[in-house]
Amino acid sequence: MSERLAQVDVRRLVPRLVVGTVVIAALLYVIVIAQPPPEVGGNWRSTTFGSAFDDWRSFTRTLLNGLTFAGLLFIVASGFSLIFGLMRVVNMAHGSFYLLGGYIAYEVQQKMTGEQGYTIQGFNVNTWEWVFPALVAAGVIAVVGLVVQQVFLRWNQGQELRQALITIAISVIIADQVIAHFNEGLASSVTWPGWMNRLVELPLLGIEYSLTRLVVLCLGLAVGSALWLWLYRTRTGMVIRAGVDDQQMTSALGVNIQLTFAMAFIVGSALAAFGGAVGASQGAVAPGQDGQWLLNSLVVVIIGGLGSLLGAAAGSLLYGLVFSFSAVYLPTTGNNCCTQYSIVFTFILLALVLAFRPQGLFGKFS
Amino acid sequence: MSRIARHWKLALPLGVLVIVASAVVSTSFAASKAKEVRVAIMTDCKGAFGFGSEVDTGGALAAFAQYAGGKVKDPKKPTAGMTGIKVGGTSVKIVGIGCGDDTVPTAVKETRRLMEQLKADVMIGPLSGDEAVYVANYAKSHPTKTFVIGTAGSQDPTLQIAPKNVFRYHGDGAQWNAGIGEIAYKKLGWRKAAIVMDDYSFGWTSGAGIIADFCAIGGQITKRVFPPLNTTDYSSYVQQLPAPGTVDGYFWVVGGTGTGASLTAFEQQYGALKPDQHIGNLFFAFLGADKVVAPKVVGSYVGGFGTGPGLKTKQAKAYEAVVAKWYPGLNGGNYADGFVYNYYNAAWAFIRGLQASGGQTGAKLQASMPRTNKSGYEVSDGGVVKLDANRQAIQDQYPLQVVKNADGSIGTAVVGYVPNVDQSFGGLFKKTSPAPGRTQPPCVKKSLPWQGKIKVVTNGVITNAVIK
Amino acid sequence: MTRDPKTLAERAIAVGVLVVAALGPLIFNDYWVDVILTQTLIVGIAAASLIFLAAYGGMISLAQTMLMGSAGFMIGNMVTKGGAGGESKGLTLGWDPTLSLALALVGTTVIGLLFGLVASRSTGIYFLMITLTYSVIGFYFVGQVTVVSGFSGIANINRYTPPFVGDMVNDRYRLYYIALGVALAVYALIRFALRTPFGLALQGVRDEPVRMSSLGYAVPLHRTLAFGFSSFLAALAGVLLVWWQGQIAPGDIGLQSTIDLLMVAVIGGLTRIEGAWVGALAFIVINNYVRDSWLTDLLDRVHVGGSFNTIIGLVFLAIVIFSPDGLIGAWERIWSFFGRAGGPDAPVVAPGPVSQEA
Repeated sequence: MSERLAQVDVRRLVPRLVVGTVVIAALLYVIVIAQPPPEVGGNWRSTTFGSAFDDWRSFTRTLLNGLTFAGLLFIVASGFSLIFGLMRVVNMAHGSFYLLGGYIAYEVQQKMTGEQGYTIQGFNVNTWEWVFPALVAAGVIAVVGLVVQQVFLRWNQGQELRQALITIAISVIIADQVIAHFNEGLASSVTWPGWMNRLVELPLLGIEYSLTRLVVLCLGLAVGSALWLWLYRTRTGMVIRAGVDDQQMTSALGVNIQLTFAMAFIVGSALAAFGGAVGASQGAVAPGQDGQWLLNSLVVVIIGGLGSLLGAAAGSLLYGLVFSFSAVYLPTTGNNCCTQYSIVFTFILLALVLAFRPQGLFGKFS
Repeated sequence: MSRIARHWKLALPLGVLVIVASAVVSTSFAASKAKEVRVAIMTDCKGAFGFGSEVDTGGALAAFAQYAGGKVKDPKKPTAGMTGIKVGGTSVKIVGIGCGDDTVPTAVKETRRLMEQLKADVMIGPLSGDEAVYVANYAKSHPTKTFVIGTAGSQDPTLQIAPKNVFRYHGDGAQWNAGIGEIAYKKLGWRKAAIVMDDYSFGWTSGAGIIADFCAIGGQITKRVFPPLNTTDYSSYVQQLPAPGTVDGYFWVVGGTGTGASLTAFEQQYGALKPDQHIGNLFFAFLGADKVVAPKVVGSYVGGFGTGPGLKTKQAKAYEAVVAKWYPGLNGGNYADGFVYNYYNAAWAFIRGLQASGGQTGAKLQASMPRTNKSGYEVSDGGVVKLDANRQAIQDQYPLQVVKNADGSIGTAVVGYVPNVDQSFGGLFKKTSPAPGRTQPPCVKKSLPWQGKIKVVTNGVITNAVIK
Repeated sequence: MTRDPKTLAERAIAVGVLVVAALGPLIFNDYWVDVILTQTLIVGIAAASLIFLAAYGGMISLAQTMLMGSAGFMIGNMVTKGGAGGESKGLTLGWDPTLSLALALVGTTVIGLLFGLVASRSTGIYFLMITLTYSVIGFYFVGQVTVVSGFSGIANINRYTPPFVGDMVNDRYRLYYIALGVALAVYALIRFALRTPFGLALQGVRDEPVRMSSLGYAVPLHRTLAFGFSSFLAALAGVLLVWWQGQIAPGDIGLQSTIDLLMVAVIGGLTRIEGAWVGALAFIVINNYVRDSWLTDLLDRVHVGGSFNTIIGLVFLAIVIFSPDGLIGAWERIWSFFGRAGGPDAPVVAPGPVSQEA
């Protein structure tokens, strides 16, 4: 017995204990400990809906909200992770690709449905009138990404900081040009097809849920599956994975690594733009969101790990769920507290990951 | 390859230095004529209100063109500038147009650049609430400069800070919402409501006006939700709202990208929006966010902006004609937007003040600034706004409604007229009272000066009927 | 002792700059002294903390603005008193300014050490991303936790300065000279630190971490301490910043400000500490004067549109592509062009982190 104890590696045990305790405490709080709030005031146990046992419908809804937000996060962050994993380029212009993609989708949809200058009503939009703008946005940004990669990033491979700085400069220029040329920089919204604006019954879960959000989740899953198929079932994907693991060797084996880089950048940028179209439909797109979404992608890949598809998925899930749950399940003690501090929980998540597993949950590099 | 050619890369940074140096030289040695009054217009060209740059400048310069003989350089681009402005015998020069981005650090740099480098004597602006708080503090330590606030809606500059050289000829964020609570109570029958406010000072200030107005007449705000500014996904905050059966309606005080995103999140939880269940502040009808949400909320009432779009008084039409004369098509023809209107009135008041002071700036100008102004949409007391003791306007307010026009486009119509709304909101906000915040003001029933006196407005005409 | 011409030239320039700076108010107009030069000194201190880490620690940190901001927010929360006058934001503790100053400096250094502890195990681009995340966290924290600040920030901080610093609001050049003094002290401090055993070990860790580790040096510890030192420098800059601006808001530590500081450092040159102030002056001057100049009209005329931000982006892009070692790098290259640099006493210039990857 004492031999077993002596074999326990304290340095590796302590972090796992800490993380485990935090996670279990949070789960217990949400599922069991919380209580519905009283009429006035409240204490550390009162949350808006009580615990999962008190109101499992709200729990389910919060869970679904987190999952569907994670779908959108995944679409955008997977592109970022792919570009970094293969080319070691921190594409700081990823957020501005998102922004530009969102605006292009808006402009195309406006032209297709008669240029009203206002957000179009859902019943006026059919499926093709959403899909086509999204595809155009993805296509245009794919070309932009290719140009950026060939002109600015191809000749300085390996100089990671320089490439990051170049992409920063490009993001500044793009963000400013968007204000000048797209709808005067006003917030703009793309409209989902009319058939999506309904609530559907989810009999197993007992709630009515937005079909639109479920479609976003499905889009995220579709993108994930497509990426997985591409990376794990095609030859190009195999080359990309090889390049992620060992760039020099892959190149030495005679593979056209430059072509692979170009393809990865194209796909990554297209994903950012497609995410922009989806995000513009879910809310609106406006200048300033490029920074926000760059940071969202960054948080997701830091949590999940760089260069890993599974990591992007895990990071999106965790971030989306923490975001969703912390806003609803923080204590409410009267009008002044505490759900506003939900941001604190996102960064507790980040701090835990960075402290105990700095390469991310599924990261391949340290 | 010659040695020079090998080091061509040197040319680049040196070239950059030369170009920039020439830009520096070309701008820093502006010759200043004697006895010239220097005016700076401070607006936003980036950030949430980035489009304001052209719109605000157009409003202000239209006043200069009309009342001070200014020559428009480009009727399609107000920021191209204006020449030949003369008030009395004094020539006025627009020395610069500031480029804020709704945040304080940029406001600091721009204010100092305009007032200290370009040596402006007067600032017309700024645009946003937080910028105005900084400018008011700055004004305190620069008493010889005069500041006429552009369209900022924060309370502090003229209530808590209130220096002698800061003037505001329009209402603040709370004043703009006067009357909308009573309309919700009487016309829609709301007794219990929830309110969603951006978690920062303008959200709180605008929300304070709604809460004060609604609670004063007997309504109850049962839940206040505060999403952080520019949240990406509002679903968790919408989830915190009481369900539609448990409250009669929802007040929305969300701006930026959130106006559309928050309503979308509500639709995705509860289905299509019912117009009589939702009331928004001015973001439902102005400032660009309206283009995103207007189709969703046709029929909803909207808090005002101190302006009366479509008001058919002679004074209103005269104002709109003036702007159309100098900058036709400004803001898409929507001259009732506060961005145009408030800057116009600020500039006009300044011109009259400069006339009265005989071309002098500083303390003389501040003493001569008019205490009333014939702003276009005013009706009470012969059609003027009046400044109170803190140089803050007492302004008529116009609650609005989003309507569908005959040609299918979406616009706003005035539905009510609230006379003489002052900043104290009937005694609720004083210099020593706590600033609007998450729990301020509390929901209390009291009597407001305009309670029961809101006149019905139909088709732009103020009737004698009172809203019941 | 013979000195090579380059060192002589640099020394002459340094003396010249110091004389001009000391006589600042006599030579330049008020706006230049109050705004351009004071800002240059303050931003230069922050950039120096970044360049110190980059050039001598091999770590490019994007957390310096956040650390500046922490010091600013700490002092703001501690010093303002609340009540009327736009001071109702933040914790409004109303503590003694000297105590608050000390606490802010110490507190920020502690935060820097903690963050450094976590980040020190990563290098290169990962370190960059982690520090960028710190910046993000800081920005969202002060923006959304309205108890300590909120979007509007905290105002009127410069009315409460410690007695040995004096009155900031009414005394015109006081802050300029204090900033000048602090900037010189920071420069001297960094040069001194580099000559200590710690500093030399740090440079060894930068170049050959594996070898140093096998020699028995605690590599993460050195990096952490370097990060802590740089956060102290950033804290100094942060305190000066709130005295200059009078207030602090989340916008001061947002993504834009973080990138601006990086641009300052890159424009100046990530190889030498002097680059901090060179880059700061260049950036602030460009930022200030490009706005109303013929350059923005040019953009309109070629139908490219956009504002001066496009110009700044283009300038930055050009510098990163053509002269990645910034203006200092251009200076070095001028000397090598004339072929007279070098010699037994020439200072060894560290290879730039941008132009040559380790």
